[in-house]
Amino acid sequence: MSPVAQNPTKNPLATGPAKPSRMQRAGAWSRRMPLLPALIFVILLTQIPFVTTIVISFMKWNAYYPDEIVFAGLSNFVKVFTDVNARQAILVTIILTVSVVVISLLLGLGAALLLDHSFPGRGIVRTMMITPFLVVPVAAALLWKHALYNPVYGLFNGLLRLVFGENAPQPDWISEHPLWAVIVAIVWQWTPFMMLIILAGLQSRPLDVVEAARIDGATGRQIFTHMTLPHLRPFMELAALLGAINIVQNFDHVFTITSGGLGTANLPYYIYQTFYTAHDYGRASAAGVIVVIGTIIIATFALRTVFTIFNEETR
Amino acid sequence: MQNETGKSKLMWLVIDLIVLLYAFIPVFWIISLSLKDSATLNDGNYFPRSITFESYQQIFANNDFTRALINSIGICLIATFIALLLGTFAAYAVARLQFPGKKIIVGMSLMVSMFPQIALVTPLFRIETAVGIFDTWLGLIIPYITFAMPLAIYTLSAFFREIPWELEKAAKMDGATPFQAFRQVIAPLAMPGVFTTAILVFISCWNDFLFALSLTSTSAARTVPAAMSYFQGATTFEKPTGPIAAAAVVITIPIVIFVLLFQRRIVAGLTSGAVKG
Repeated sequence: MSPVAQNPTKNPLATGPAKPSRMQRAGAWSRRMPLLPALIFVILLTQIPFVTTIVISFMKWNAYYPDEIVFAGLSNFVKVFTDVNARQAILVTIILTVSVVVISLLLGLGAALLLDHSFPGRGIVRTMMITPFLVVPVAAALLWKHALYNPVYGLFNGLLRLVFGENAPQPDWISEHPLWAVIVAIVWQWTPFMMLIILAGLQSRPLDVVEAARIDGATGRQIFTHMTLPHLRPFMELAALLGAINIVQNFDHVFTITSGGLGTANLPYYIYQTFYTAHDYGRASAAGVIVVIGTIIIATFALRTVFTIFNEETR
Repeated sequence: MQNETGKSKLMWLVIDLIVLLYAFIPVFWIISLSLKDSATLNDGNYFPRSITFESYQQIFANNDFTRALINSIGICLIATFIALLLGTFAAYAVARLQFPGKKIIVGMSLMVSMFPQIALVTPLFRIETAVGIFDTWLGLIIPYITFAMPLAIYTLSAFFREIPWELEKAAKMDGATPFQAFRQVIAPLAMPGVFTTAILVFISCWNDFLFALSLTSTSAARTVPAAMSYFQGATTFEKPTGPIAAAAVVITIPIVIFVLLFQRRIVAGLTSGAVKG
């Protein structure tokens, strides 16, 4: 924020603390006032339940044994880490998140590079590219499950029949490749998001410098690897991190497409099941705390990237 | 890029088509499925041979679905309104005022928006059953506001930063209090941003599935995404594909209309909210 002085009209209040002001003392709190209702509401409503979660995660609490609610120490956490299903769920969550983020980031980069050129119909193509991101996730998951993957009337097998004739292979996509079925459906929905952020990065690229490089004889490929990619890096990191935070939490697709079966249960699904089916509140809460810690780790990196980009833009 | 040759024009046409295939064909396919009758559902024709609104009639005759639609609209509108009201004040403070600890507060609100819902569902379930708001509109409105507010705050503050500051200063010099300056000078200028944020917040509530599934037990407060997962055919032997397709179309249409109407603003909102923090 130091270069603000060079641009006083843009952010004059930043220079505020430097000059003596009568209402500075009282102002400090009256300035925070507008923030308070929102902040108090949000913090109360996320932190009270979260504290409850932490407390329950240290208790033995199963709704089937209501008389045995006692302090249990770390045993719920031990249970989560030794439970085969829970370990499987952690593994699935990691595989799911990493593959969705990597694939959708690459596709998003491709789409953003295309949409950065001007060509006839660009506006329409961009709108269409965004559509998947805005389709209600459950509806999108149902769409993939019933309209695309279905072995009898799904679009994929219909296409296979169209290309290879009546003897075309008719795989049952979901039961043969359950995890990939989920991954592809989430990738379809998240690519537009990645594309939007990368596109914002591309459009903030200083074009005069690119032009200068071109005049100096740099090839398109050199410009891409030495100028475009380094400039895009923080944007891609941000897209990847924000995407990861959301995909770690994915519940809609797993619930809808496979109902967590066939080895696709991720942590959120595991928690949901432990809570609503097994009624083991202690273990569900312990798993919840683990998800929160994981998210906070990713989110810290995300916030750092947000502020890096923000500081660069105000510079 | 000024002189498009025939070859590159062709290339762009091909690329247009690939994008179209990627994004739109699946969506079109579900519309097509929703318009087929149960006898031709499996015929595999991309375009329905005869269009029937049977599936739509079926879902709108289903009281659970119409009730869920009313719940969805009501709950999302109320949550959007409150989140926006509180979020506007907060965003104003973040964008316009300078005070110690601002960065921490912004960071904290961003952190909340990233907070995993699944970790809150279980305690919320217990708290809501204890308080007696489980399976009510209020029981969903409250968590929706919580998750919508950070989104509202950072999208709005990105918009607010673009508003010409001099005008507010001028109003203050003319004797307006900060609140008056906000209401009479900044608010009208901020309307487009507020409106865009309202759409984004509404979409985020509209799309929620986890809370809707976990914090309701009857059709009293169940919203459409949750109701859809309970969809069964007219008889147990009938696959509910037609009605599911129709329901998916019905709940997606409002969003698609919003996006088509306000495309540029929504893109601006999504990217500014995400990139500018």
